[in-house]
Amino acid sequence: MPASAKSQDQHEPAKAAPTRSKLQLKGSSKVVAEFFEYSINSILFQRGIYPPEDFQVVKKYGLNMLLTVDEEVKSYIRRIMMQLNKWITGGKISKLVVAIVALDTGEVAERWQFDIEVLSKGAIARKTTSVADKENAVPESGMQTKEKSVDEIQSEIQAIIRQITASVTFLPVLEGRHTFNVLVYADGDAQVPAEWIDSDPKEVRDAEQVKLRSFSTNSHKVDTMVAYRLGNAE
Amino acid sequence: MSFSTPIKSRPSVANCTPSRPSYQQPRLDSSPLTPRQYAQLTSSFLSGRRRSPAAAQGKSCIHRQPSSPLRLDSGHPESALTGTGPVSSTPKKPAKKQLYRTSVQGDRFIPSRSSTSTAMSKLESESKASAASSDISSSSASSLSYQPNMTALAYQSSVAEACGLALNTRILAFKPEAPQSSKPIDLRSQYNRPLKPLANAQLRRRLPTSAERILDAPGIRDDYYLNLLDWSCNSQVAIGLDRDLYVWNAETGTVTNLLQTRPNTYISGIKWSGDGAYVAVGLSDGDVQIWDAEEGEKVRSMTGHAARVGVMSWDRHILSSGCRDGSIWNHDVRIAEHKVSEYVNHQAEVCGLQWRSDGSQLASGGNDNLVNIWDARSSTPKFTKTNHKAAVKALAWCPWQLNLLATGGGTYDKHIHFWNGTTGARVNSIDTGSQVTSLQWSTTYKEIVSSHGYPDNNLAIWSYPSLVKNGEIQGHDTRVLSSALSPDGSTLATVASDENLKFWKIFEQIGKKVSSAVGETLGSGKDIAKVMMIR
Repeated sequence: MPASAKSQDQHEPAKAAPTRSKLQLKGSSKVVAEFFEYSINSILFQRGIYPPEDFQVVKKYGLNMLLTVDEEVKSYIRRIMMQLNKWITGGKISKLVVAIVALDTGEVAERWQFDIEVLSKGAIARKTTSVADKENAVPESGMQTKEKSVDEIQSEIQAIIRQITASVTFLPVLEGRHTFNVLVYADGDAQVPAEWIDSDPKEVRDAEQVKLRSFSTNSHKVDTMVAYRLGNAE
Repeated sequence: MSFSTPIKSRPSVANCTPSRPSYQQPRLDSSPLTPRQYAQLTSSFLSGRRRSPAAAQGKSCIHRQPSSPLRLDSGHPESALTGTGPVSSTPKKPAKKQLYRTSVQGDRFIPSRSSTSTAMSKLESESKASAASSDISSSSASSLSYQPNMTALAYQSSVAEACGLALNTRILAFKPEAPQSSKPIDLRSQYNRPLKPLANAQLRRRLPTSAERILDAPGIRDDYYLNLLDWSCNSQVAIGLDRDLYVWNAETGTVTNLLQTRPNTYISGIKWSGDGAYVAVGLSDGDVQIWDAEEGEKVRSMTGHAARVGVMSWDRHILSSGCRDGSIWNHDVRIAEHKVSEYVNHQAEVCGLQWRSDGSQLASGGNDNLVNIWDARSSTPKFTKTNHKAAVKALAWCPWQLNLLATGGGTYDKHIHFWNGTTGARVNSIDTGSQVTSLQWSTTYKEIVSSHGYPDNNLAIWSYPSLVKNGEIQGHDTRVLSSALSPDGSTLATVASDENLKFWKIFEQIGKKVSSAVGETLGSGKDIAKVMMIR
């Protein structure tokens, strides 16, 4: 047992880093959550889920972002964001999905997926599992991500938002009225309030997928992807 | 991930999973760095992020030990493992106990489906993930109570494993319905939409084609050289109709006949004082009278001019009057000897007279085609301009650029010239194509409006300094004699020889709701502040 006690002591310096990165984790979660809020708003605007008059221009990420001013939609998104914030901070969710659903048929027309990867501890864990030899390499890559400045993160987010905006050029025109659903892929042990229910993944039938850019903070990596149905004409 | 789990479960756990022996070897041989990483891992696992079946197996091994005495020898020195993978949350003492127990009996292993299943471990970990190992018996007891579910869960987990699905993640949807959009949206109309809403059609300024209001002005003298219309700062429009002076209150719409001159005379000039309380009236016989508009009585008469007084201009207490004989008199209305100075340069009737807003310069125009700019301190003109080829009646100082003066010439001239009052230089010119009868700068826009006589009889709005004609209004049938701007700058009043007094909302502010001066009550009838003492 003295051996185990000793090894525990050895972990003290190692623990110092996680403590600091825990603070970073909090800030990073905020960045990620904020990004989701703006992304959802952008999608709602760009895909015409709500009329353009309901949106107001706000300066964010060095861009003119559009945020809804409709009180109902605002509070709806706020309710989602409140829970998302908790989950992201706790590292409980791995995916966020905004599904654009036809109002009449309930058919999923579009599916915006954001994969959240928790870096640092989690990333190391995953890498080590694959090949044991890579163990030494992993901390280095972990170090690299630590150096990222706020400006860099912002410009990465800016690029994604630009892509979301630009995606209307290739996404098919949504015929008829649509609404949206927000899904999350949560861990099994996540605290789930009553407002959230188990759901199917709401995949798009015969989907074409386009991967958009990703951004990463010191603690999170977010990949963006949009899936949409090809038009029947093709 | 799966191979790392045995360490995670307990420090003392031997790797008792027969199905994964190949993974164990590298771990044992790995560098000293490895265990530490595992420990990190372990803590993250304990926090409940992710649990793998193998982890569970390892753990369940321990818990099941009492009930499954038969064990396979894993073939590895377990003590080596034990020492390298501590769990911070595990109390040292129980760990020691466990270590001891493992080394004693962990040599054979008969896999038991129920004990090695993911579900089993899941249940256990949920019931007490970080349970002290001294609680083994109670923990296993609690897991036994889940027995009926366990087989189902075990089946589920093995199926999920076979399919490569992560059983531990749930897909959750936010249940409440998203609010419906208020109206159907056609995205196509949105693609061409500017990011910021521009001034839409309703907000764009449009020049009126018809007058806001038309009043009769019967008997107005069709004389270019007279100035018979003025609008006071408290929204009273004074108009001279031959012998009568009428005051029309733009706020209330009431009309009063302020005065009637003696027979054989007529009103030739009207000017409101700066405070709007008094109106100066020039008569055809050379008399200059000051009337109190509120009381409706004459305050004083300032005689002395030899001929009719066609134009006047106030600078606070100084009233300057231009006479047909070409003289300009400055009257100090406060003192008995009212004539304080005389400007003599014009050879013919003075028909345009305008003090600069700061009172430092006076511009005058005459029938001798001259424009004079006088310094208030000197009785000789600072500049004399001979560019106009006809009488100059229209004079206007720019409200936003103090030294800018606009002058308009008569029928043979048709030009508006712009002057720098400081240097005397001509800075701009417009050929309007018509006799210029009056000029008014806008206080809202960078524009100037000119009224015209022969041949077009129109109103023209010019932007300055671009000199682009922004609009034209064919408002009157005959020539426009005079114009006056409302105190809020939105409305222009014009009177023409067709005996109409018309009001045009040409400078209305867009976006802001400007209460119109015409026909609207601005509120409390505020008392007219009489700034001056007139004897």
